[in-house]
Amino acid sequence: MAKPTSYFPELKRDWWLKHSYFKKYMAREATVLPLVFFVACLLAGLYSLLQGMESWQGWLQFMQHPMVIALNALAFIASLFHAWTFFQLFPRVMPLRVAGRTLPPNLMVLGQWLGVVAVMVLATWIFLRGL
Amino acid sequence: MTIKQISIQRYLPEQGSAPYWQEFDVPFDDSTSILDALNYVKEELDGSLSYRWSCRMAICGSCGVMVNNTPKLGCNSFLREYQGPVKIAPLAHFPVEKDLIIDMTLFLDHLAAVQPYLINDSGEGSDTFKQTPAQMEKYKQFSGCINCGLCYSACPQFGLNPEFLGPAALTLAHRYNLDSRDQGKKQRMPQMNREEGVWSCTFVGFCSEVCPKNVDPAAAVNQGKVESAKDMLIGIFKS
Repeated sequence: MAKPTSYFPELKRDWWLKHSYFKKYMAREATVLPLVFFVACLLAGLYSLLQGMESWQGWLQFMQHPMVIALNALAFIASLFHAWTFFQLFPRVMPLRVAGRTLPPNLMVLGQWLGVVAVMVLATWIFLRGL
Repeated sequence: MTIKQISIQRYLPEQGSAPYWQEFDVPFDDSTSILDALNYVKEELDGSLSYRWSCRMAICGSCGVMVNNTPKLGCNSFLREYQGPVKIAPLAHFPVEKDLIIDMTLFLDHLAAVQPYLINDSGEGSDTFKQTPAQMEKYKQFSGCINCGLCYSACPQFGLNPEFLGPAALTLAHRYNLDSRDQGKKQRMPQMNREEGVWSCTFVGFCSEVCPKNVDPAAAVNQGKVESAKDMLIGIFKS
């Protein structure tokens, strides 16, 4: 007797629109898009620095364009959002054991945010010293 | 008792090729599970409905279905949790045999591929292995899997590529790798190191969300990535 045929529902391209959990996941992954723009800006800045004074001034002008500032602000917010999701996942991937006990996840998340604050303070200090 | 309308996705291969939705009115109270509702439909309304179930207490892992696009065990989700419409479909990402019955062959093949059993040829512990509570604690959380397959239906990476070993199989591999009685890690690592092993996971995390036993497969798979990276690095220095 022939086996009755089974049907295999295919996953369509818009699968991530079907569930709020997947939308949040895609938002996390999409944070890379404004970051690509930020990295491109940085690389363009380095390149224009090599090209000479005029090119550098042009790049500075470009960076002051409201649209560019808005996109880079978006990249900043997106990277903070990504960090927020990443920091929560980190204790599950790398559970740290100290003296036979697993560190509480909240403590690890807090430690990572303290790291972010430390880096920001350091960057601000270097920036202000240069002015 | 109040009445609730539920929609069930039907698929009858002997009658036609396309799956379709069928509505049923089911009486319910606070204790009516999705499985109770399916049993009511089969016993009182339409005897041709097919689905799997056994223990009714979230141990056997047989009654997995999609309820409103979320994988659930029919026995431990309840009609009272749903205010709006209730749509019951077979578990996603698997071939459907009939109505709510899926073909789990692929899932079972993936489980077998990681050799999910103690491998130990040392001769020690031929009667019984000794293990301290601290040693057991390392893998205990990952050993609660009941093979219900909900995590596979929650995983878009498995949906996009059925060759991906998937959450449950990779969790089992990690569970045995962490077991102090086991020496089979070397045999399991080649499976985990494959692209269809741990590296196909993008930490969507929905598998852990739907797991009825709180096994946290997403954590196990991503801890597996750390192990896989270490294994590859050691391999480079050894060769």
